Amino acid sequence: MATERIKSEITGTVWKILLAEGDSIQVESELMILESMKMEIPVESAVSGRIQSILVAPGDAVDEDQDLAIIEID
Amino acid sequence: MKAAVLREQNKPMEIEEVQISKPGPREVLVRPIAAGVCHSDLHFLDGSYPYMLPTILGHESAGVVEEVGKDVTYVKKGDHVITCLSAFCGHCNKCLTGHLSLCQSPEVSRAPEVESRLSIGGETVHQFLNLSSFAELMLIHEHALVKVREDMPMDRAALIGCSTTTGVGAVFHTAGVEPGSIVAVIGCGGVGLAAINGAAIAGASMVIAVDMVDSKLELAKAVGATHTINARSGNAVGEVLELTKGGCDYTFEAIGLKATAEQAFQMLCSGGTATIIGMIPVGTMVELHGVDFLMEKKIQGSNMGSNRFRIDMPRFVDFYLSGKLHLDQMISKHIKLADVNTALNALKSGEEARHVIMFDQ
Repeated sequence: MATERIKSEITGTVWKILLAEGDSIQVESELMILESMKMEIPVESAVSGRIQSILVAPGDAVDEDQDLAIIEID
Repeated sequence: MKAAVLREQNKPMEIEEVQISKPGPREVLVRPIAAGVCHSDLHFLDGSYPYMLPTILGHESAGVVEEVGKDVTYVKKGDHVITCLSAFCGHCNKCLTGHLSLCQSPEVSRAPEVESRLSIGGETVHQFLNLSSFAELMLIHEHALVKVREDMPMDRAALIGCSTTTGVGAVFHTAGVEPGSIVAVIGCGGVGLAAINGAAIAGASMVIAVDMVDSKLELAKAVGATHTINARSGNAVGEVLELTKGGCDYTFEAIGLKATAEQAFQMLCSGGTATIIGMIPVGTMVELHGVDFLMEKKIQGSNMGSNRFRIDMPRFVDFYLSGKLHLDQMISKHIKLADVNTALNALKSGEEARHVIMFDQ
């Protein structure tokens, strides 16, 4: 099955994860919220599918371009 | 309370009834009197910077303390305050090494599992930069405000909450401009004008303002520019190099574009420093000519003027009241909250300096 890696666009901290592994997700829907320089930045899925794995936890520091989650594409 | 709620990017904000929580132990309820409409709000409205929605934009305000949480001792009801998005925790590595504006601690926000500060019918409204000032009330951490003297006019004080601190702070703190320096500022919006004013206060011998709008270049002269260049000529870099006979000691980019960031670097003399203040859209890369590093040219970012706002803002208030900081010219219009969309559209045109919302109107 084809997969898509969801990456962070910015350096920051994982503030809240909105969905869980196994959940289905639609294109452009929000998967988690990052906080960076006091901004609440949504992380959206670029594809529709099912969340195979979430690679970070709340409070984790993330770098720009870091993988955050893997989506199995519908 | 009423607030301007953004539910979809690139769509007008709607004035809605919003519920605001009670102050937590270290929170302060502020009744804003004035709120500036800033170009940075536009970046979040148009999506060049993503943000959780719905939200209430606005991050440049001054007002009066309405109520304080049980552990707050710094302010009391009735105090005049300026708010600041550089809320600091006070005990992380950045804070303890004096870089308060770089504090990343989430503790100045409410934790995700706690009731949100703002909501509509039970739906969370995401607080913008821990402030959300396009609203009749603001509930903020005590480390997101500074007390100021009561003879300071609130509309002028509001500007100190962001544009002044960002522009003047970039000159004083991030770059550390010395008296006699040659300075160029690209972009003469609120932040650029503040940088020009700051460079003049710092004693720069030449302050060159670069913009494409003649009326803004006139404003630049009024706040301290010694020379102006209209970039419509298409050769702003060449004109600056010719005027300065070799380049600037310091340049400031106050627009947020790849091209102007690169121009700021190209305008430097050897050993010069370019400071990028503008918010360059997420994902944009900036390209520099590598050989220029052999001439010890430097480029750096500046966030909110590398501020220590509880020290800086009262000083900026004194600068205004003593005639050094020219805030009167920065305000093009006073408006009502309901006119906030019109104000943001005016900012897009680039023709006007700044609209300020007055909540007592």
